[in-house]
Amino acid sequence: MSFLRLLSRNRLALAGLIVMSVVVLLALLTPILPLPDPDVTNTAERFKKPFSERALLGTDHLGRDLASRLMWGTRLSLAVGFAAAVAAATIGAAIGVIAGFYGGRVDNVIMRGVDMLMGFPYILLALAIVAALGPGLLNALIAVAAVNIPFFARNIRGVTVGIAHKEFVDAARLCGMSNARIIITEVVPNVVPVIVIAMSTTIGWMILETAGLSFLGLGSQPPQADLGSMLGEARSALITNPHTSVVPGAMILVIVMAINLLGDGVRDALDPRLKSGALSRPMPTTMVRRTDPVPQPEGDGILSLRNLQTQFHVKDRIYKAVGGVDLSVRPGECLGIIGESGSGKSVTALSIMGLVASPPGVITGGAVHYKGEDLIGAPYETLRHLRGDRVAYIFQDPLATLHPLYTVGAQLIEAIQSHHRTSTSEARARAIELLKSVRIPNAEARVDNYPHEMSGGMRQRVGIAMALANDPEVIIADEPTTALDVTVQAQILALLDDLRRERGLAIIFITHDFGVVAQLCDRVAVMYAGRIVEEGPTDAILNAPAHPYTARLMACVPELGQGRRQLAAIPGLPPVVDKLPAGCAFADRCPKAASACRSGDIDLGPFGPARKIRCIDPEIPVQEATA
Amino acid sequence: MSAALKLTDLSKTFPVGKRLFGAPKAGVKAVQPLSLTVEQGETLGIVGESGCGKSTLARMLVGLLPPTTGQIEIDGAPLDNADPATFGQKIQYVFQDPISSLNPRKTIRQIMDAPLRHLHGMDAKARTARIAEIFAAVNLREEFLDRYPHEFSGGQAQRIGIARALAADARILILDEPVSALDVSVQAQVLNLLADLKQKFGLTYIFISHDLAVVEAVSDRVAVLYFGSVVEVGPADQVFAAPRHPYTRLLADSAPVVGRALAAPEAKETELPDPLNPPEGCAFRARCPRATEVCAGAVPSLEVQSDSVSAACFHPLADTD
Amino acid sequence: MTGYIVKRLISAVPVLLGISVIVFLIMAMIPGDPATAILGSYATPENVEKLNRDLGLDKPLVQRYFIWLGNMLQGDFGRSFSLNRAVLDEVLERFNATLLLAGTSFVICSILGVAAGVVSAARQYGLADKAITFAVLLGISIPSFFLGMMMILIFAVNLRWFPVSGMWPIYGARDLSALISHLTLPAIALAVVATGVIARLSRSAMLEVLRQDFIRTARAKGVHERSVIWRHGLRAAMVSIIPVLGIQAGFVLSGAVYIEMVFQWPGVGRMLVDAILKRDILLVQGGVVFVAACYVLFNIAVDVAQSLLDPRIKA
Ligand SMILES: Nc1ncnc2c1ncn2[C@@H]1O[C@H](COP(=O)(O)OP(=O)(O)OP(=O)(O)O)[C@@H](O)[C@H]1O
Ligand code: SF4
Ligand code: SF4
Ligand SMILES: [Mg+2]
Repeated sequence: MSFLRLLSRNRLALAGLIVMSVVVLLALLTPILPLPDPDVTNTAERFKKPFSERALLGTDHLGRDLASRLMWGTRLSLAVGFAAAVAAATIGAAIGVIAGFYGGRVDNVIMRGVDMLMGFPYILLALAIVAALGPGLLNALIAVAAVNIPFFARNIRGVTVGIAHKEFVDAARLCGMSNARIIITEVVPNVVPVIVIAMSTTIGWMILETAGLSFLGLGSQPPQADLGSMLGEARSALITNPHTSVVPGAMILVIVMAINLLGDGVRDALDPRLKSGALSRPMPTTMVRRTDPVPQPEGDGILSLRNLQTQFHVKDRIYKAVGGVDLSVRPGECLGIIGESGSGKSVTALSIMGLVASPPGVITGGAVHYKGEDLIGAPYETLRHLRGDRVAYIFQDPLATLHPLYTVGAQLIEAIQSHHRTSTSEARARAIELLKSVRIPNAEARVDNYPHEMSGGMRQRVGIAMALANDPEVIIADEPTTALDVTVQAQILALLDDLRRERGLAIIFITHDFGVVAQLCDRVAVMYAGRIVEEGPTDAILNAPAHPYTARLMACVPELGQGRRQLAAIPGLPPVVDKLPAGCAFADRCPKAASACRSGDIDLGPFGPARKIRCIDPEIPVQEATA
Repeated sequence: MSAALKLTDLSKTFPVGKRLFGAPKAGVKAVQPLSLTVEQGETLGIVGESGCGKSTLARMLVGLLPPTTGQIEIDGAPLDNADPATFGQKIQYVFQDPISSLNPRKTIRQIMDAPLRHLHGMDAKARTARIAEIFAAVNLREEFLDRYPHEFSGGQAQRIGIARALAADARILILDEPVSALDVSVQAQVLNLLADLKQKFGLTYIFISHDLAVVEAVSDRVAVLYFGSVVEVGPADQVFAAPRHPYTRLLADSAPVVGRALAAPEAKETELPDPLNPPEGCAFRARCPRATEVCAGAVPSLEVQSDSVSAACFHPLADTD
Repeated sequence: MTGYIVKRLISAVPVLLGISVIVFLIMAMIPGDPATAILGSYATPENVEKLNRDLGLDKPLVQRYFIWLGNMLQGDFGRSFSLNRAVLDEVLERFNATLLLAGTSFVICSILGVAAGVVSAARQYGLADKAITFAVLLGISIPSFFLGMMMILIFAVNLRWFPVSGMWPIYGARDLSALISHLTLPAIALAVVATGVIARLSRSAMLEVLRQDFIRTARAKGVHERSVIWRHGLRAAMVSIIPVLGIQAGFVLSGAVYIEMVFQWPGVGRMLVDAILKRDILLVQGGVVFVAACYVLFNIAVDVAQSLLDPRIKA
């Protein structure tokens, strides 16, 4: 159902659907419409112009009624095109599913055959088939279907391989299902949308192809005519009587265009990635739409966030990923941000330099002050000059964040040259120096490696080197070690800590691991549902958490060295940020929740001299805040 | 009473450089010949870094991958046919990614029906009753049965995965990183559920994870895997508290712990060896601070060190180290 | 690199053999008796039998294939009865004309298509994107033969900017400017569809790439947006665009058949259609094998280009 709704929401697809419905309806009704016989020649009435008496669209070189021939031709072309598409899709999909599912030798043999067929420019194969079977509409249909089978087979195979390696297929095996049953109940239902997409986007093309063969005189044979052969017959009179060509040609154009529009609509409606609007390109900076007055800078932080709000506008929903965050970091300080998945840590970090993907991201309020200057809404050039030069990022997955097709050296050089006019040889020397500073052994050789030639730990070192390239003042590290093994993580953390002390860097370090925070950060901010719920010196918070969420979260996490035990879980789930409750977002899971907690917004208030907390009933008395 | 699960010399070599016909060019030894026993009702934790062969081992245990050598015995009876259906009734698997382990186009009921129907041949009525029983055990509401997987959060989906594994009525569950994809607050819920179920149904677990703290918290015994071999195995409270193998020590020292100062426990910037080109002797040699010439000459075998801890090392650590 | 090229060339051998088998088998499916088809239904039985023997049709299939293959490897593609000329000579001459037409079109559609796709992606939902998307839709929906006819009508007949058809003027010098004026209309008509397809796929490849993490990294480094799009984005997108170009080359070559008919271009496509209608089987067979072989070689060049672009493909 939602499929039809999505389709109908797409105006172009709807237009295509309407045109197609009309055409198909007319084609179906052709036999009972009061049309003259399309094949009766009447040489006295040759080449009548359109809109002449008794011949709405005129007549052709044999005096046959063009309107009638057009209807019958359309009927034939549609039928042949659809039949070819269905045949090719069915056979191709069957081959693709089998090759993809069984893999190994079966796959190898089948796909070599398919490659062989794709080694022909398709028309050669079609011509060869028609040459062998002889001209004729049915043979043209067979030829067009046959040359398209490899395309379907390859496409479907690719998708099937992906599905066959999904865990639910393994699960089905463990449930005792046979291969045949797995193909039918697990694989095929997941492949069908792809088949439908492939078919709907190629059916127009198949109609073109069969028309083409007829145009060449290899398809439908006189007196029977499809649109292609009408055009073929009209060619000799092109200059004298263009209408005989324009009529069938325009019809093909209209049909194919309508089918293509419809096919695109079907594809968009069925492809889940497109559903969420994910396939849109992020703009160079995040969109800013602030309505409230912009906060003024305050405090001595080199970088400070005031009431930062970032939302995602997806369709008619608004996700308040960041709902008013205040933070500040001083030179030489390491500030940790900790929180569960989806709490808004990354979005906060990316908002600072306008790197949140937009659309759908929008910064709707607050300010980010870098040395007193507001970066939100700053012109692109200002941001670009600061990015990577004064404020640098280190991201989570080092394989995905490095460009796969450039050497690490080239990427480092680019980082330098984006901000400094230096010769490439100088920049290269600097790149090698940077690699040494992040303790990459044999830096002179490594500089020419591609990212895929390095291990995960190495790549993350490159990521760090890139962040250091222009001696930034602030580094924002978004879970830089989460994708790494513990032993490598320990190396990277030690490296970051050394660098910070050597260079007096301010670091904003995002993580979900209390151990990492404890070891690396001076201060920590705990995030929940897009807001900071507690902030203060790391030791104080970890020793005596004041917010119920912090306390419970810490209790959930097993820690090495405490042996086998029962863990304290937090019941329930974090709220979804498009439906935040009024008042405290943690109230539904908090054992101390009272009615006051749910009535209104709770502020992030001071708690002792150095801490802040967003709770009306802290876990500890304020006197113990500095413990 | 025999062990719940006994592995003898189980190994797996993956061919690389496949050819259309004929033998492959080389092999990667993902799991070296390995022997382990799991007692009835025990939880054996398996830890190791990425690529050390954890998942390969797990998939062999449930019959999704045929082992290259060795055999698997369940309750004393060898299981040598590689048919997942035979395995399915004795040993089940809980997947790492809860969402992708559920077919997006089936309702939860259809998913739950599969093991009952294909492994136990139950009729519709029996199935409904059994599903109700299982869902009660894993704290899921029966109204979920007619929904589709995408409507569930990771934690709920993992409960469904566990429910499916229980439906097969196997005594042994292989839990392959069952909580790594979950948030910490939900992770604890699932771990506690697993502990309850084990009690209630007398299950035996093999719990695979890269998170030392989680493994320590749930396991009776722990096996440490490095480069496809078990390098140390012993009671959970001893393996990390008093490691015998230098690699275990490195792992334990690398885990970030509140209240311990940051230090890189490993001075050398080295990582896992290349599986296509394995080193001679002890695989950990290049990273090992205690390595000597002996280590280059031969591969150490797993030997009992003290108090039921075994380690594969020529120069194991003592309590004083 | 040379190692890779040699490897790919060697791997092309079975493909070429496969292609020859496929063509041979298709031709062997011909119902009835080719000799009768050649000589017409009034031929005497003796003549038919003689021709059958000459063509080697009385031998078993496998043997016939190897004879045919062996002859081909020696450059003997047989003789076209309808043209009374060696097949290879005719094919070579015609293929030159096709190559000129299809090659020009291919260059046009590659450059225009990729550029349009990138601009369209970079300005997603902007005016340029909408205009390009609409043009692309029109381009992929119009039959190239109809487009060619309309172009003749407008630019050759009405405006008289270009000649109506043919490759050379009937009277007058056969120089470059004459060639260009004859080539322009058919090359454009042929390029339109492929341009549309390439633009479309380039656009989606770019959109896919521009969402990747490494694009965000480039922006976080402070790389200028122009570089982000053209250096980081397009380079990565080319990895998926190049195979499309390879496939589209096949489509251009295929579309050339129609365009050659419409513009009376003396290419191999028109030759094949005529040969089919005249049931000149040897000419069809030879033409198909020859062009397919060239296409296979072209695809190897595409693969090599791909491996130059993408270091992850092991050379
Ligand atoms: N491109 C996007 N479109 C829509 N919503 C998004 C997008 N990116 C993030 N969100 C939403 O914003 C919220 C915050 O996400 P964010 O990535 O900041 O979390 P996080 O704390 O970094 O989590 P993790 O620990 O998983 O990295 C989430 O609810 C997420 O669903
Ligand atoms: S404000 Fe109320 S509900 Fe929220 S954490 Fe504090 S006590 Fe719990
Ligand atoms: S055997 Fe040698 S190299 Fe291996 S872990 Fe023991 S001491 Fe280290
Ligand atoms: Mg994040």
